[in-house]
Amino acid sequence: MIAPSIEYSALLPMIIVFGAGVVGVLVEAFVPRRFRHAVQVILALAALAAAFVQVVRLGGTEIIGAVGSVAIDGPALFLQGTVLVLAFISMFFFAERRIEAGGNAFAPAASSLPGSEEERVLVQQRALQTEIYPLSMLAVGGMMLFPAANDLLAMFVALEVLSLPLYILCGMARRRRLLSQEAAMKYFLLGAFASGFFIFGASFVYGFAGSLEFAEIDAALGARVGQEGLLLAGVGMMAVGLLFKIGAVPFHAWTPDVYQGAPTQVTAFMAACTKLAAFGAMMRLFYVGLGGIRTDWQPMLWAVAIATMVVGIVVALSQTDIKRMLAYSSIAHGGFILTAFVAVDELAIAAILFYLAAYGFVTLGAFAVVTLVRDAGGEATHLSKWAGLGRRSPLLAATFGLFLLALAGIPLTSGFVGKLTVFTAAFQGGAMPLVIVGVLVSAVAAFFYVRVIVLMFFSDPAPEGPTVAVPSVWTTAGIAVGAVATIVLGVLPGPLLDLAEQAALFIR
Amino acid sequence: MNPTSYLVLATILFTLGSGGVLLRRNALVAFMSVELMLNAANLAFVAFARMHGALDGQIVAFFVMIIAAAEVVIGLAIIVMIFRTRRSASVDDASLLKL
Amino acid sequence: MDLYAPMIGLIILGAVFAVFSVVVSTVIGPKRYNRARLDSYECGIEPTPQPVGGGRIPIKYYLTAMTFIIFDIEIIFLYPWAVRFDHLGVFGFVAMVTFLFLITVPFVYEWRRGGLEWD
Repeated sequence: MIAPSIEYSALLPMIIVFGAGVVGVLVEAFVPRRFRHAVQVILALAALAAAFVQVVRLGGTEIIGAVGSVAIDGPALFLQGTVLVLAFISMFFFAERRIEAGGNAFAPAASSLPGSEEERVLVQQRALQTEIYPLSMLAVGGMMLFPAANDLLAMFVALEVLSLPLYILCGMARRRRLLSQEAAMKYFLLGAFASGFFIFGASFVYGFAGSLEFAEIDAALGARVGQEGLLLAGVGMMAVGLLFKIGAVPFHAWTPDVYQGAPTQVTAFMAACTKLAAFGAMMRLFYVGLGGIRTDWQPMLWAVAIATMVVGIVVALSQTDIKRMLAYSSIAHGGFILTAFVAVDELAIAAILFYLAAYGFVTLGAFAVVTLVRDAGGEATHLSKWAGLGRRSPLLAATFGLFLLALAGIPLTSGFVGKLTVFTAAFQGGAMPLVIVGVLVSAVAAFFYVRVIVLMFFSDPAPEGPTVAVPSVWTTAGIAVGAVATIVLGVLPGPLLDLAEQAALFIR
Repeated sequence: MNPTSYLVLATILFTLGSGGVLLRRNALVAFMSVELMLNAANLAFVAFARMHGALDGQIVAFFVMIIAAAEVVIGLAIIVMIFRTRRSASVDDASLLKL
Repeated sequence: MDLYAPMIGLIILGAVFAVFSVVVSTVIGPKRYNRARLDSYECGIEPTPQPVGGGRIPIKYYLTAMTFIIFDIEIIFLYPWAVRFDHLGVFGFVAMVTFLFLITVPFVYEWRRGGLEWD
């Protein structure tokens, strides 16, 4: 037996990010409290930037590394790069300190009792929560590994590595601690439940194929007859785990609660990046590992896609909380992506990659705007409070309007191009009914996004309406990047679409 | 080797676990049920590894155990945090968020 | 039989060491009896009565349990490596040292943050 070889060069982006997480923990242990925040922010941003440079350097690489368990190819690199950019912007929102006078959006010590003496002292000392940075670095590392995972074990490990820090991050809100802690518990229990399904399904698939690697699973698909039951049960249960992360109906129940309860900055990060990583992993598993039995899993995903689109939009219509509304909208967008997912070809992969990137920027921006509209109790998330916002703060309302138009898929925004490519791919893949449902649902969706815009601009402001916080340069820059990306990808989608098309080939 | 009986046992354990998550009110018990699900997967992996005469299934069992441990730590932290705040570990008491 | 010789040797060695320790400590050790020495756990902790009727267990126990689980379970990875240590060579050694370093990092963190103090 010889020692295995590891392609460190190809894995460097992930090593950098994970390394930054580990160093971040040491910073927490040894750096004095007053320097911690600055050190952590610089460390996180530097690591994400360095990792992005490495991803760019690796462009065009096609390697199956780490003894078959990690595939660095077009889709993996595209998604890793996108995750890094989105996480970079998320760190801007995490670093915001002006909205909450003297603190960031997180509880100074997540373990302190709400309303206790300990917490009061910490708030008085203006203690800053800095553990969020190493936690989010570890989550980003997991998100980078997830779409690159090329065997069942690596995929499961990546799933957990990205989820576990997120569970904690959800419970760390500065305001409305109980709500936040509940969100963390719900996310944790349901997430652990879903990952239990994933690994049990993985054991069945392993039992069928006799190997963990996707390529060998694919090879085994045609060879063994009479064990399809084992295989299909396994595939179904693995799909549960992945669809849960995506937030597809009927595994979406956690999404609104967690999105609402988590600190909005974390919601932004999670909504943009988790979905991206999970779709990446799902594409690799279903296209590379299980492409040979697509006729078996396509009907299941057809049903899931339709249910996801319809439920997402219909329930979103009745929401009165802006964060819950965005959560259901994110569910519906998962459904739109699934329409392309069932069409298995390069066009579909490129469409999904583009959609995920475009959607990520819009979501980050939209949730960041939510952090700025505040009243005495923190963020004013009730929809009625947003009435007349356009008169009080036209620029902010216009920016939010732009994000809503992008979510609705109005032309000249990235959302339109995304939907167009996704539906085109679905159409060419023969999923005509899905496209029809998608277009109909989009029309309904447009109505309800426009309703919010009308509310902001054409109704009278509530007498005791919320104030719009003046953010520091961090949040301003983050929202600006989101808005610019939304317009640029809507007007000039060519370069990113080309990139996505070039990247749209899985190595087998 | 015929893994059928192991598989049946694993499936029973898994069903017990998932039933426990759905039915039990106490967060700690629900969480223990999740661990049962992971262990059911372990049993299936090891049985299949033996059937195929390969080792990778056993290695997976190691990893699953580690991940279960990490999950325990995170989960206990979250549940203890909630418990200290609310003096209750019942899933039903945590109801500020709409279900 | 040769195969079992080292094992039997080890068992005998272990038994001898155990008997030796017990005997020597009773013979030459100081004999100071007090209440704490006669308690169930002679490490200075007051044994708490079992909670009656589903009483609560202090949170500190959970915290200690968490620490224990992480450091205990991670040992798992040392076993396969120890079995194939000579074949894996430098690669295995470096990987294991890296792994142990990574395990040490949270431990250091916990220690610096006062997680190991029982108050």
